[in-house]
Amino acid sequence: MQRGKGMKFVGDSRIKASHKMPNVPKDYSEHPGKTEAFWPNFLLKEWLIGAVFLIGYLVLTLANPAPLERQADPTDTMYIPVPDWYFLSMYQLLKYEFASGPWNIVGAIIMPGLAIGALMLVPFMDTTKERRPFKRPLPTAFMLLSVAALIYLTWESVANHDWELAERQGAIVEEIEFDMESEGYHIYAESSCIGCHGDSFEGGMGVTLVDTGLTAEEIADIAVNGTENGKMAPGYWSGTDEELKILSEFISELKSD
Amino acid sequence: MSKNRVSRRQFLSYSLMGVGGFMISGTLMPMLRFAVDPVLQKSGIGDFTPTPQKVDELTDTPVRVDYTIKDRKDAWYESDVSYTAWVYKDGDAIIALSPVCKHLGCTVNWGSEGHPNEFFCPCHAGRYTKNGANVKGTPPIGPLDEYEVMVKDGLLYLGGTKPNTLV
Amino acid sequence: MLNKIYDWVDERLDITPIWRDIADHEVPEHVNPAHHFSAFIYCFGGLTFFITVIQILSGMFLTMYYTPDIENAWKSVYYLQNEVAFGEIVRGMHHWGASLVIVMMFLHTLRVFFTGSYKKPRELNWIVGVLIFVTMLGLGFTGYLLPWDMKALFATKVGIEIAGSVPFIGEQIKILLAGDSEILGAQTLTRFFAIHVFFLPAALLGLLAAHFVFIRRQGISGPL
Repeated sequence: MQRGKGMKFVGDSRIKASHKMPNVPKDYSEHPGKTEAFWPNFLLKEWLIGAVFLIGYLVLTLANPAPLERQADPTDTMYIPVPDWYFLSMYQLLKYEFASGPWNIVGAIIMPGLAIGALMLVPFMDTTKERRPFKRPLPTAFMLLSVAALIYLTWESVANHDWELAERQGAIVEEIEFDMESEGYHIYAESSCIGCHGDSFEGGMGVTLVDTGLTAEEIADIAVNGTENGKMAPGYWSGTDEELKILSEFISELKSD
Repeated sequence: MSKNRVSRRQFLSYSLMGVGGFMISGTLMPMLRFAVDPVLQKSGIGDFTPTPQKVDELTDTPVRVDYTIKDRKDAWYESDVSYTAWVYKDGDAIIALSPVCKHLGCTVNWGSEGHPNEFFCPCHAGRYTKNGANVKGTPPIGPLDEYEVMVKDGLLYLGGTKPNTLV
Repeated sequence: MLNKIYDWVDERLDITPIWRDIADHEVPEHVNPAHHFSAFIYCFGGLTFFITVIQILSGMFLTMYYTPDIENAWKSVYYLQNEVAFGEIVRGMHHWGASLVIVMMFLHTLRVFFTGSYKKPRELNWIVGVLIFVTMLGLGFTGYLLPWDMKALFATKVGIEIAGSVPFIGEQIKILLAGDSEILGAQTLTRFFAIHVFFLPAALLGLLAAHFVFIRRQGISGPL
């Protein structure tokens, strides 16, 4: 029984009776010039490159464990968000005046949309036969400019982000047990300290107050005079000396096991 | 014979398309309705929630008021959720502003470092004056929302947000 | 032995033409790094696919521990990373793979662009490629939320607001993604999980299949 384009089947089954394609690959002599067979010659080379790549990939993975910040807390109002690095350029774009405020839609939708749309339509805009990049300066220039813009925006975004603060804000902090009814906590909650150092001393704008390793006197000094590196300005403390003593003793005793 | 006569093959093709269309839509319709359900649901307007803030302690400097809505429903997940408001007195009127930046929903702070006497959003450096008006030339597209305010037994109660009425 | 099995199957299913089509074709000299070192730029596409395979595999295994629920998501990620043997590596591969696949895809796109390989008759494959790029970005965006840590939540908040700023239908898109007009919570996480694990990978596999079929039909673009 003959089917389709010359395929012969036995009876009404689909098994071909003849014209079986030999499963012996072509001889290498059939390949012109330095052309070679995909399987196994070329694939072996590709996999060698893949293997080298994999080693680099695994080294990267082992050297830098995937980051995990503390569990999401929607009520934390201090946290400064940052997207994954490949969205940083867009994130940065939204900071510029022409792409924010009433023009937010320009930065959020129109410019990314145009970029993707233009990228998709490249084959229909650049219709010449010429393929060498230097022989078609316009497309090449546009692409180089776009790449430069992407790199610049990403760079600006990275440079403007306070990574140190972000790390502090996102750090997983051991939850510690403390007595919310104690006098020390009451003084803490009523002072301005709680605004930056968090409801349970986990930190935020300020550092965590757990495991400071400081003595009560040192803490009292910082509360009044600020830190030496100027991260905390002087003059935040507005209570009495007696309260300060109780508070600093309370904080110096905050330890996670 | 009319030229427009539907051939047997055409008739079968149309039937096939019809049955196929029915099979696809019959399968997908419940699923799509299932997926878009949240879009079609009406959002309920919140009631007033008590805050720990005593009204006579308010001054004309905005203070941060944290309060909690008990058992807020997020589909199957009910939880107590904390909210924040920046509250101050303007004459006799109590003004409670939402801290949600009108740019992209980050959270603004009053009087943060380098930005005294204004609300500042750290994400894209958005700024607002005390009454919540967005400073021109910064990213936000509108003034901060206001909370509905109620006073009961000397305590501040906050309701849902409404567009800023002060600007 | 292997040959006998092959013959037995081939006799019944006639798999040799398929095999021929997938594996037994010629590779020209100008894309072969063994002949011209600069031809390594032709490897970026293959490496992108390699990482994609790793992403699919590591993702499949991650779901053995991961729970898409706001109470437990973070805890399950913390557990699988810190308590499970090799958890740090598997999650690390998925995390870094997500970045590497974007890098490789970007380089592949630049290679195709600067060698003019998108020109007739390969326009369609270029479009499919751009769609793959967009799908990958979508996978990155939806996957970022799943560990349910601080940066996940707040970056997604910003992302959802951006989606919400689309004219006319922004609010609808926002709710469709987040599951709620105001809360970014339980429903957002399950939705992002479904999109990240089922919808986008399905789209990606379809697009990849098209990408590869097109390449086999058209062959590699000739030398410059």
